[in-house]
Amino acid sequence: MARFVLAVAIAIALVFPLVFSGAFYERVAALTLLYAIAASAWNLIGGYAGQVSVGHVVFFGCGAYGAAVAYSEWGLPPIAGLPLGVGAAVLLAALVGVPTLRLSGHYFTMATVALAELIRILVGNVPVLGAAVGLMGPAVPRSVWDLSFTSSLPYYYLFLAVLAGLLLFTWWMERSRMGFYLRAIKGSERAARSLGIPVGRYKLYALMLSAGFTAVAGALYLVMVGFVDPDSGVGILLSVKMLIMAALGGAGTLFGPLIGALILVPLEEISNSLLGGQGSGVTFVVYGGIILLIAVFQPGGILAMVAGWWRKS
Amino acid sequence: MLIEARGVTMRFGGFTAVDAVDLDVAEGRITGLIGPNGAGKSTFFNCLAGDYRPSAGSIRFAGREIAGLTPESHARLGMARTYQVPHTFTDMSVGDNVMVGAFLRHRRTADARRAADAVLERTGLAGQARHRASSLGTAGRKRLEIARALATEPKVLLLDEALAGLTATEIQAAITLVRDIHRSGITIVIVEHIMEVILSLADRVTVFHHGRIISQGTPGEVTGDPKVVEAYLGRSLERQRQRAAEASG
Amino acid sequence: MSPILLQVIVGGLLLGAVYALFSSGLTLIWGMMNVVNFAHGDFVMLAMYVAFWTWAIIGGGPLLFTPLAAFALAVLGVVVYFGVVKPVMGGPMLAQMLGTFGLALFLRYSAFWAFTANFRTLPEDMIPGSFVVGGVRFEAAKVVAGIVALLLTIGLHLLLTKTRLGSRMLAVSEDRQAAMLMGIRPDRMQAIAWALAAGATGVAGALIATFFYVSPTVGETLAVIAFVVVSLGGFGSVPGALVAGLLIGVIESLSAFWIGAVYKDVLVYALFLVVLWVRPQGLFGKL
Repeated sequence: MARFVLAVAIAIALVFPLVFSGAFYERVAALTLLYAIAASAWNLIGGYAGQVSVGHVVFFGCGAYGAAVAYSEWGLPPIAGLPLGVGAAVLLAALVGVPTLRLSGHYFTMATVALAELIRILVGNVPVLGAAVGLMGPAVPRSVWDLSFTSSLPYYYLFLAVLAGLLLFTWWMERSRMGFYLRAIKGSERAARSLGIPVGRYKLYALMLSAGFTAVAGALYLVMVGFVDPDSGVGILLSVKMLIMAALGGAGTLFGPLIGALILVPLEEISNSLLGGQGSGVTFVVYGGIILLIAVFQPGGILAMVAGWWRKS
Repeated sequence: MLIEARGVTMRFGGFTAVDAVDLDVAEGRITGLIGPNGAGKSTFFNCLAGDYRPSAGSIRFAGREIAGLTPESHARLGMARTYQVPHTFTDMSVGDNVMVGAFLRHRRTADARRAADAVLERTGLAGQARHRASSLGTAGRKRLEIARALATEPKVLLLDEALAGLTATEIQAAITLVRDIHRSGITIVIVEHIMEVILSLADRVTVFHHGRIISQGTPGEVTGDPKVVEAYLGRSLERQRQRAAEASG
Repeated sequence: MSPILLQVIVGGLLLGAVYALFSSGLTLIWGMMNVVNFAHGDFVMLAMYVAFWTWAIIGGGPLLFTPLAAFALAVLGVVVYFGVVKPVMGGPMLAQMLGTFGLALFLRYSAFWAFTANFRTLPEDMIPGSFVVGGVRFEAAKVVAGIVALLLTIGLHLLLTKTRLGSRMLAVSEDRQAAMLMGIRPDRMQAIAWALAAGATGVAGALIATFFYVSPTVGETLAVIAFVVVSLGGFGSVPGALVAGLLIGVIESLSAFWIGAVYKDVLVYALFLVVLWVRPQGLFGKL
């Protein structure tokens, strides 16, 4: 049954943009996958290990700015900045993770808030990073390596491949010792330690992996959108989106973040195109409300709710 | 001696919960720690398990100094524990809970699964392996904690009030399990305040009172010790007398 | 010491006392029930709006809007305790964090929606005048805010340590079960703690409003400052929050004076990360 559902889902994912062609659909579909990548990356530390980061946009920004700098400083194709972005993200992850992951989860969450604010102010004032104005990718593609396409279709398949890779990794991790250890840590750190789990170390691994994958999403974002500024690259909204998509679909489940992205991204794109730019404040109110409701009534998200119905029927 | 504790002291602020305690645990025995509430037995137990770092003193396990090592090092060296209030991983299945323990000695998932299945079989939890841990009652959770600890393949199993809060039948079942584990060659240290149970289970009993050891020996020796009668049994006898007086009056 | 430097330092101390007051609310809740209120900064923001709208609609001064803000926030605190915190407290950590974080977003952007993004300020002569001591000029508003905040923080500490109510609250935080056996109702104590914490925050917000602009996102920065103060002071410690608050106030003032206002927050956040590395239990706390 599960296998059948999965096969159908993959088939739909592969043919979707061919059936629903048109610039708007393709763009929304590609963005959905991009956010699904970011949210699935957040899920590694926030969902599986239960350490809530509300500053993940910093890692996303590392990827986006890494790619942008590769072009603006060295004239390379943006994607060549990927290792730089991933490296910076993993380094920053260690900077917050090493001291805080030894402590209770509150410290980690607060540190991610502080890091995000710190980086946002710094980025807005550093000329190499374009300060408040931001950085552009190549305006006209110079070679195929610039990955600059007018249609969203190539991005759709690129993101689909990356998402598949990330989910495959997560699937493998879920079944390995690391996956068990992370879930144990989420359940009870004290019991986890008494079973011989080096808790701080595993949380740090999860954070560094999560940061690295989030940076990949950031670099892909720049490749597609071709522009990054402090708001789009390191603004708080994006951190919130990653968190809420994972939580809505089901934090700590393989497909939860993807499901969250499938619901929220089209919803937001459609409401934006209907309301114009007016909607963003309301979006936040709604997001806040959704997060609140999930926390109070269904901490497991949609997947847990469906699983509950399944068991009952 | 498998465990040798010397001068173990635990202070919280100005309060000395455990005061210069010496204790030996012989390999292959069941050692009981008892005492009235607040006697320091649980604090001492947490020092043994590595959850607390003693303020002073030495604890040697199989000849190696372990005082101040982390709980995870204790587990690796072969000490496993359970908690008075079970800390099961409620979002995971019963089987996966045990898997977490089994991963300590088995890196690969398939090996850990095999080891966990054996433990589940042995502890009588195989039937519930696929259920969520949150579906278990108190007795089931305590049993699961024992199973999870066993899966780490310990030399010594530290049980913190493994019988508290259980019904009479559940206590019998738990005692059978503990005896069975003991027969397989695992040394057991058990903290309990239900005196009757520990006296039938333990080879040696240590009685705590006001952070110190006031008596050690076989269950027979300890119950005959006037100091114990005064400190522990005396109080409950007195309470019983009071209750009887209230009932008749 | 030059008068200008003295002025900067004293200004920092006065601001720091206000930081201490609203941080004590955060530290009280964290220490008592191990819950971090991520909406704490937005509580301050709401208190500032209560002050502003009270003045704008019915007039009056700080003597009217400060108690009103305290009362409004105390009510909000109790509502939040029963509506959000209590249901998630026993649940997974994730739910706890998401609960107050969701609340923060909800409050912040509801304020955006209701009050618009405009910066609003109370008239400068709300608490009029300034005076000169030893060649240093002080604005009365900041002096009043600083002194009131200092007294209230000390008062809160005394309430928690010297009164029956305080010891009952402490009993609940140490051992819920035992407290219940002693006839204390934990729910009630925790609701009172939320009322106290939010009420103190309300006073702080009203005081800040007398010399600082109000906007929906003003709480964002203030929340981070409160986190820094609490982690520096040691969680659960009101005296720790007091000392740390004063310290942060002075550091902010000095860095704004020496390296510029843009980077003063950067310095505070960086300090926070350094504290986490070097002394995570805070200056006075224990882990």
